[in-house]
Amino acid sequence: MKLELGYIQIKDIQFSKECKVENGTLYVDPDAVKAYLYEDDDVKAWVKDFSFDIAKPGESVRITPVKDVIEPRVKVEGPGGVFPGVISKVETVGSGKTHVLRGMAVVTAGKIVGFQEGIIDMSGPGADYTPFSKLLNLVVVAEPAEGYQDHKHEYEHAVRIAGLRAATYIGELGREVTPDETAEFETYGIKEGMEKMPNLPRVAYVHMLQSQGLLHDTYVYGVDAKRSLTTILLPTETMDGAIISGNCVSACDKNTTYHHLNNPVVANLFAAHGKTLNYVCNIITNENVYLADKQRSSDWTAKLCRLLDLDGALVSQEGFGNPDTDLIMNCKKIELQGVKTVIITDEYAGQDGKSQSLADADPLADAVVTGGNANEVIVLPKMDKVIGTLDYVDVIAGGHAGSLRPDGTIEAELQVITGATNEMGFNRLSAR
Amino acid sequence: MSYKVVHYINQFFANIGGEEMAHVAPELRDGFVGPGMALNTAWKGEAEIVKTIVCGDSYFAEHEADAKKQVLDWVKAEKPDMFIAGPAFNAGRYGYACATIANAVQEELGIPVLTGMYEENPGADLKNKVLIVATANSAAGMRKAAPTMAKLALKLMKGEKIGASAEEGYMPNGIRRNFFEKEVGAKRAVDMLVAKLSDKPYTTEYPMPSFDRVAPNKAIKDLSKATIALCTSGGIVPKGNPDHIESSSASHYGEYCIAGVDDLTAETYETAHGGYDPVYANADADRVLPVDVLREMEKEGKIGKLHDFFYTTVGNGTSVANAKGFAAEYAQKLLKAGVHAVIMTST
Amino acid sequence: MGSIGNPRDYLILTNNPMVREHLEGRGRFTIRFEPERSFREILVEARDLVYAGHILYTHPLAGSVKPNETPYKSLIVSVEPHGFDADHAGLMANAIAVFDKFRPIGWELEERILRDFQLIDYSLLCGALNIDAAAGLSK
Repeated sequence: MKLELGYIQIKDIQFSKECKVENGTLYVDPDAVKAYLYEDDDVKAWVKDFSFDIAKPGESVRITPVKDVIEPRVKVEGPGGVFPGVISKVETVGSGKTHVLRGMAVVTAGKIVGFQEGIIDMSGPGADYTPFSKLLNLVVVAEPAEGYQDHKHEYEHAVRIAGLRAATYIGELGREVTPDETAEFETYGIKEGMEKMPNLPRVAYVHMLQSQGLLHDTYVYGVDAKRSLTTILLPTETMDGAIISGNCVSACDKNTTYHHLNNPVVANLFAAHGKTLNYVCNIITNENVYLADKQRSSDWTAKLCRLLDLDGALVSQEGFGNPDTDLIMNCKKIELQGVKTVIITDEYAGQDGKSQSLADADPLADAVVTGGNANEVIVLPKMDKVIGTLDYVDVIAGGHAGSLRPDGTIEAELQVITGATNEMGFNRLSAR
Repeated sequence: MSYKVVHYINQFFANIGGEEMAHVAPELRDGFVGPGMALNTAWKGEAEIVKTIVCGDSYFAEHEADAKKQVLDWVKAEKPDMFIAGPAFNAGRYGYACATIANAVQEELGIPVLTGMYEENPGADLKNKVLIVATANSAAGMRKAAPTMAKLALKLMKGEKIGASAEEGYMPNGIRRNFFEKEVGAKRAVDMLVAKLSDKPYTTEYPMPSFDRVAPNKAIKDLSKATIALCTSGGIVPKGNPDHIESSSASHYGEYCIAGVDDLTAETYETAHGGYDPVYANADADRVLPVDVLREMEKEGKIGKLHDFFYTTVGNGTSVANAKGFAAEYAQKLLKAGVHAVIMTST
Repeated sequence: MGSIGNPRDYLILTNNPMVREHLEGRGRFTIRFEPERSFREILVEARDLVYAGHILYTHPLAGSVKPNETPYKSLIVSVEPHGFDADHAGLMANAIAVFDKFRPIGWELEERILRDFQLIDYSLLCGALNIDAAAGLSK
């Protein structure tokens, strides 16, 4: 399957009465976007109001609590549309041409539960730990409707849809724009791939998806990953939004939709594809709480690796605690099938770095890349402007009583920073 | 006002001689000697070596207690801001001496320490206790080792926080520290996979905690036909401890015959173990080595037979290596005698 | 008598009032509601049951809200012992070790925030039980 991405570099965002992308600037009318969001019944039912704001790199701005980060894209040629099964119909994506508004993101923010987390600082020490401080962010802050307290599942769903709709609306503005740069990505059928690259090791990306419940879910073509058996996805499908995030607890190692669209394992495997390896496909597998599900999912992952006659598998996980069990199960079982693995994880080694980093371990996991210790403490300075609310900073995952100091600084673990210890290997942060 | 450092080196680096001079006793010299010059130069006046202690590697190995005492006395008198040993590269006894003496200075005098050696040097076993810079495996690595050690030492003297092991050049010591790599994790992962697939060397960023798992043997189908042996690390011995098994750090194990013995009593058996209150074990050693219960089971036909010999040692402070060695030896005796299963009691 | 995998064999250990409130009677499982037990005490109770031969149905560390952040814990063990499983024993022991490495935060939480932590725990449990979490709430 072949997909061409056309990158339209966004260098500025401005509010205006018009909606268009011109000479690298996104002009957007918040009211027009809002109207589009409210065309969805669930959004209408559960969101009282939206407010919009713009956060630029280097500004003294803090966005919190962050729900999702989404990159605007639009399918200009080929079957299907972005976010299949959620915004677009379920038709299989990943081929043809897609335009990307690069350099910006839609960020959804606002409370869902009282301990919401996710902080993005656009400057200061915190900015070094999140990739989103380098983007022009169009922030959509949602305010819940009356009575949402007993309907938080519905409200979370509404905010999730709103974010994707906003990104879709903005993406659409790039349809007729000529991209600044294009890149092509192609993977082949099993037979064709082996014929084309007979001497290269065959590698797949085992992509583990968080799948546990409210604020811990992932959706594939709109299907709750909890309900899915381990299966195969073509790498280019992720570039059209086949996988979206319902997942932000805790912020540091959850994959936002932006991470899924810009999956760095996919990108780096493609960079090596045809040169040092043959990138065969993605295998997606979940991380359910039910033990028999973990057993089944990891058994199937290993079975597919063996069936595909892979030489190697790169495994990325998502989350803390019980996903470590899935990670080790996957790694062990794949290795025992004679397929070599490298795994990507993050660590919870305690604030002093002395505790055991993972909840599970095995000597077969001998090739590990780490996104860093999420317990390490950071002090975030006061920012001039907060988009969202600071109400929950004390109670955010990784924060603690007194986390928000009287002088406005925040002392908290890296856990609270959106994307800080990402386990797809998105960042340069590591630990030894 | 610069920081004061005491440097420890061996006879070779002090230019006294090679192996043939490894027996020399510790000497105290003023200022730097040999490789100390490289350290001094790197500090550019912010720190300086005020005293160098030279000690033969054989002397340290054979007179460790004396050597330690002498070195500690000298260091204590000097009251330096830092103690540096080596680097020892691949010299095994030198590396052992460096790590051991650095550990002693750290623990008994509370002075920050640093040493350096090749990762396979036996002295590196102490890397979780003493900060050890990883060096090449020969003195040709001095050009790189000295500045790395000097830089890290200066941070320690200034009380600055030290970074991750990969950044600062020390051997991973079990304390995880964050730092920023040059490349993103996904690229590092792909590179690592390509290396692993082509049998090229790679270094994991997180070494899994080491396990010593033993796969369980098959279960015994019919206990009534099995010969069961009793073994213990609880130190049960015949009264009087005839083979003088030590109360801690046991250097050997005992093999004793219990043919015809139905019950262990205060008159006939005792415990040699120094790590628990012996009163109840001395009053009735069956509490630790349940000969009486096994005899009952034998009479009732629940087990086939209680083996005529039991094997015992004291687990208190005994090294893993020794414990493994004892068991490896007497396991062969048990196998030869047709024993089917062992009950090992520990305290 | 429930056979393995049959909800009749599910014993839900929980200190979460929302679980009792919204799941009681909604299935053939048994709920042991122990509001006076702490998060760690529930883990220890599960561990002791596993040592006695009960099996685990869910992983003791569900969710990414850290053990020192939420006071609520629900997990599912078997009603009957089915035989000692060393892997399950290891999971429980490791879970307690993980709990112990997080520093106690000791914060006083408002009722509405406690309700949110209850909600997440409840939702994760529903995910494991294959029950629609949202439907259970609108009664």
